[in-house]
Parts: sequence; C-alpha cells; structure tokens
Amino acid sequence: MMRFVNIMVIAALIVAATTVYKIKFDSTLQVEKAAKLHNELRRERNAIAALRAQWARLDTPSRIKALADRYLTLVPIKPTQIDNFDDLPPRPPAQPQDPIGAMLAPNAPLTTGSLPAKRR
Amino acid sequence: MTGPAPRHETRWQRLVRRLLYGHDVDRDVKAKARIVLAVVGFALVYSAIAGKLIVFAVEGNEHGARHSVMQDAVATARPDIIDRNGKLLAIDVKAPSLYAEPRKLIDPDEAEELLTAALPDLNDRELRSRLDSKRGFVWLKREITPREKREIHHLGIPGIGFLTENKRVYPNGPTVSQVIGLTNIDNQGIAGMEKWVDGQGLAALHMAGLATDRLQRPVQLSLDLRVQYALREELVKARAKFKAKAAAGLVLNVNTGEVVALVSEPDYDPNDPMRANDPSRINRITTGVYELGSTFKILTVAMALDDGKATLQSKFDATHPLHYGRFAIHDYEPKNRWLTVPEIFKYSSNIGAARMALAVGVKGHQDFLRKMGELTRLRTELPESAAPIVPHPWTDLSTVTIAFGHGLSVAPLQAAMGIAACVNGGLLIKPTFLKRSRAQALQVAKRVLKPSTSRDMRYLMRLNAVQGTGTFANVPGYYVGGKTGTAEKVVNGRYAKHKLLTDFMAILPSDKPKYLIFIMLDEPQPVPGTHGYATAGWNVGPTAGKVIAHIAPLLDVEPRFDLPGPAQLILANAKPGE
Repeated sequence: MMRFVNIMVIAALIVAATTVYKIKFDSTLQVEKAAKLHNELRRERNAIAALRAQWARLDTPSRIKALADRYLTLVPIKPTQIDNFDDLPPRPPAQPQDPIGAMLAPNAPLTTGSLPAKRR
Repeated sequence: MTGPAPRHETRWQRLVRRLLYGHDVDRDVKAKARIVLAVVGFALVYSAIAGKLIVFAVEGNEHGARHSVMQDAVATARPDIIDRNGKLLAIDVKAPSLYAEPRKLIDPDEAEELLTAALPDLNDRELRSRLDSKRGFVWLKREITPREKREIHHLGIPGIGFLTENKRVYPNGPTVSQVIGLTNIDNQGIAGMEKWVDGQGLAALHMAGLATDRLQRPVQLSLDLRVQYALREELVKARAKFKAKAAAGLVLNVNTGEVVALVSEPDYDPNDPMRANDPSRINRITTGVYELGSTFKILTVAMALDDGKATLQSKFDATHPLHYGRFAIHDYEPKNRWLTVPEIFKYSSNIGAARMALAVGVKGHQDFLRKMGELTRLRTELPESAAPIVPHPWTDLSTVTIAFGHGLSVAPLQAAMGIAACVNGGLLIKPTFLKRSRAQALQVAKRVLKPSTSRDMRYLMRLNAVQGTGTFANVPGYYVGGKTGTAEKVVNGRYAKHKLLTDFMAILPSDKPKYLIFIMLDEPQPVPGTHGYATAGWNVGPTAGKVIAHIAPLLDVEPRFDLPGPAQLILANAKPGE
C-alpha cells in the first residue's frame, strides 16, 4: 500500500516538475514574443508618426496654394456662385432617353412638329 | 478516542505506559496525530514555494521590459496637436541623438578624428573638451539623421552610442506659430499652447518618467487651419501693400468664444526656434496692449443704450468741439449739429461718444468696462498675456477719451470679447483656444447686456458697413457689419500724428452674428490708391473685405442676396414673437 502511494507521489512529482518547466518555458517564450511585438508596435507607431508628419507637410495650405497657382486655372469662389437647394428651379419634364430613336420605333405613335404626340 | 489496550502486554510494559502517558491514552493515536501535523506543515511550506514559483513564472522577465522603456524615456513624448477639423498641427517624430561615455572611451583622439570626419559640422574644440571630460555621459549631437547614425554605427567606436529622442515637428511652419508656440530641445513646451499642454499635468508625468508612449490623447484646438492660412495670407499681403510695421488678425466665434484663427505678423517658424525670441514677433492679439480708437465706440454706445441713458432716437450735441480743461475734443469730420445715436456711430463722432459716456458718468463707465472684462488681465490657455493699461486716477477726462478709444490700452483679444458680447445677444464669453460646443460655452457665459441692446448694436454695425466708414468691407452677400478705428500712437508721451494704429471689427452675418473678425495694422502708410490717407477706412477696411470674401465660404456662412436693409434688422426683430 505505502509503496503504491510512494510511486504515485514520485510520478506526480515528475509530472508536476515537467509541467511547471513547460509552463515556465512557454511563458518565457510568450514574454519574448510580446516584447518583440511591443518593439514592432513602437517601430510601426514611430513610422506612422513620421509618415503623418510628412503627409501633413505635403498637405499644408501654403504648399497646396503654390501648386494650385502653378498648375490649376481655378480662382477663389465668389459669393454669387453659392446657392442652396431651395432656390433651384423646378425639375424640367422628363425627356425620353433617345427622342429620335423613339420616333423611329415601329409601333411608336407618329410625332412630328405639326402632329404632337398623343398621351396614352 | 481511546481504543482498547493491546492484549499481549506484560504487566511491566503496562506499568511503564501508564506512568508515561496516563492510564487511558492510546499511543498509536497520538503518533498518527503527529504524522498528520508534519504532513500539513510540509504541505504548507511546499505550496508556498510553488506559489512563489508561479508568481515568478507569470511576472516573467522584468529586466527586458525595463530596458525597452529606458531607451525611450530620454526626450519625453508630447501629445499631438490637431486643429478643429483634425488636421495635424504638431507631432512627435523619433530622431536618434549621439552621446559618448568618456570614461569608457579607449582612444579619445581616434574617436574625435572619426567623428569629425563623419559629422563635419561638429565643433572640433568643443567635441575635444567633451570627450576629455571625466564625466559618465555627454551629449555630442542631438537629432542626427538616420544616415549619419548608420555611418557612425559602422565606425564602431567604443564608448559612443545613440539614444532615440522625440523631436517636435510643426508641418505648417509659421502659419499657426503664434498660437501653438514651440518646444525646446528637451521637448518641453516654452511658449503658446505647447506650454499650456505642459501645465496640464504633462510636466508631472515627465518627472515620473511615464510620458513615454504615443497613446496620449491629442489636443484639439479651436483653430481652423484653412481659415488661419487664408487670414495670414491676406494679412501678409496687406502688410506689404501698406508698408505697415505689423499686421494682426483674429476670427472669433461670437457664440462659443472659440478663436478660429489668430495671426500676428511678423511671426516665426517654430521648426526654427532661433528667431522666435525677437521682440517684434510677439503675439499682438494677446500680448500687445493698444489704444484701439473708434472701435471702442461700440462699447460706449452699447453702454449708453443698455443703461437707458440713450435710445437709437436720442440726440447729442456735436455743434462745437468739446472743451475739457486745456483739451478740446474734435471730430475727424465735423458735422457741427446735433447728431442721433446712429449718426454718431456712422460718422464716428468723438464728441458724440464723449457726451454719451458723460451721460452715464465716470462710475458707470468704469463699472461697465470692468463688467465687459476690459480693465483686468484676460487669461486664456495661452501663457502669454498682458494687463490693460488703465488710467490712474480715472478722471472725467479719462472717461471722455476712453469713450472714443484713447487713454485705455487693452489687448485686442479682450476688446474682441467685449464687442462679441455686444452682438451675440449680450453674453460675455471668455475666449478659448480649445474646441468647445455652444453648451459648454453657455456654462461659462455671463449676461452683461440686454438682448435689445445687442439687437440695436447689430443694426448700428450693419448701418456703418452700408453707409459709414466700413463700406470697403461690405462684401455683397454676407451681410457684413463693422466699425473702423484709427488711433494715433503714443511716442514719448505724446500722440504722434503720423504714427497710426488702424483696426477694424467686423461681424458676419449681421442679422445673426456667428463670427467676429478683427484686423489691425500697425503704422500703415498712405499708398497710391488711398488718396494720401492712412486711416482705417482706407487700409484695414479693404483688407477686412478681402479677408471676409476669402474665409466666409470656409466658415460655412451662406451668402444671401435677398436681404433687407439695415433698418429692417430692428423692425423684423421687434416683432412680439421674437
């Protein structure tokens, strides 16, 4: 009986030791991986910051203005060029997509300048 | 628990047992209890050891983690600064810096030779003295380029190393310099909003060595980069055209107190801090104090109207210059008759304004200006501010001159705050450089004027832009209102006739003002096209017109052309429903 218990305890000891070692080893591995990822993140963030700074520099109004003056014929917008939707004239009546084609269609009602189309 | 005693015991044995343990104690039981005690004890000890092992395993290798923080902690990180639309105004980028540990140097001569070859702009003697010093650590060069770093790294000099530091970058150069300020080589804010950021607990974080990562929340300013740029561009042009010493401009949201744009030209490039300390490059909107001239009549008229000492129909005597002691107050364009309040405003009558102020009295005048925040130093987020120069003692004559804007020097931002209160419905809102909502602004707002006074002031401002001195700024479609001001500068204690400071306060749109635009030119000169004049109507007026035409579309102010005349402003608003 005691011998059996002893064997069990020794076996448990070995298993426990192995497990602990494995856990320890894994955790070290994970820590290293995490540190590596942290470093990578930091590097990426730094790169993003550098790129954002560069972007902002390229996007700065004074530079855009200089480029626009050089390559575009745009001029500043005048107040008279701005209006809102309420002031739009009503939508013109819908036109057929292809007025001449519609006239030529075989079963279309005959429409000429002197013979207006009949409403069906 | 006493079991039966073992049977095969001799009499002697029984006697000994009884003598040792008493007659009813079982030795086996006692021994078992002891074993249990030992087992429990050992179990506790081992579980403590196991627990500690687990703790070690979980917490892991602390040494490595600390190392990576150390590398970063040299120059402290700062939060990004963005404008109200999220455009970047300031950001940290990493730059390597070169250092030496002189005690670890094996051959300083060789090191010096190699380094000067790699970095030709290093000062020979300074480098030599630093390498020869017996200190543990010396900086050799801050912020070197990645290429220089690579070259020096390949030289492989022992005792020479690199640390990564944060370097502040301002992508927009001088455009926002006056508000944003700048940082020193150790990335600490030394002016403008940068210094304010440090005051918000960042400095304490730096001391603790914690402000090292980029995850700090960006600081969002109330500035609009586009408006800021447009304003600066127009002011640079105006300053060149009128050969002025300086030009300054401000766009203030009258309903929230947000500063949308602030320009004070000449300015500096915060990426090149060498020129920032030049005293001619101060922020004239917050740090300069000026006698603003006739724009102060806005406050005088608002005071008289709010006090009930005048209505829009009241008339004041402007038939003769106003004599006061040995002084005589003249009008720039004398009408020599009684003037109504709108006429006083329109013709910018000094006599009329002085009489209105006298009607309120010295005490009332002082109290009103104090209430409007014109007599105390205005402190905003910007660390730079200046106290107004208030006459002491404040006599009747002081009231007379201050009524038309002489004798009291205030910071333009302060005056803009007071005038915004005159047109926004009567609420005094402290200006801010941080983005905020109308609701947040209302929490700090203070009612200083009746809404009816504010309505009358809008009418007067609009009237002046249509018929008075502000016609050059009346951009069609935006319903601009405004008031000019021209002040003679004080030189050696006297007013100098030909050293003028001209300024303009515009509101847009006048029927429901959203923005106040302030433009100021320091010593503009008469130029061809101004008929020999250097007064405000001829220089800041047209400049304000150009600024408004340029920035109104950016500010989402809708142009309208079917608007009634100024008189309709009070009639329409006087409806009982309003």
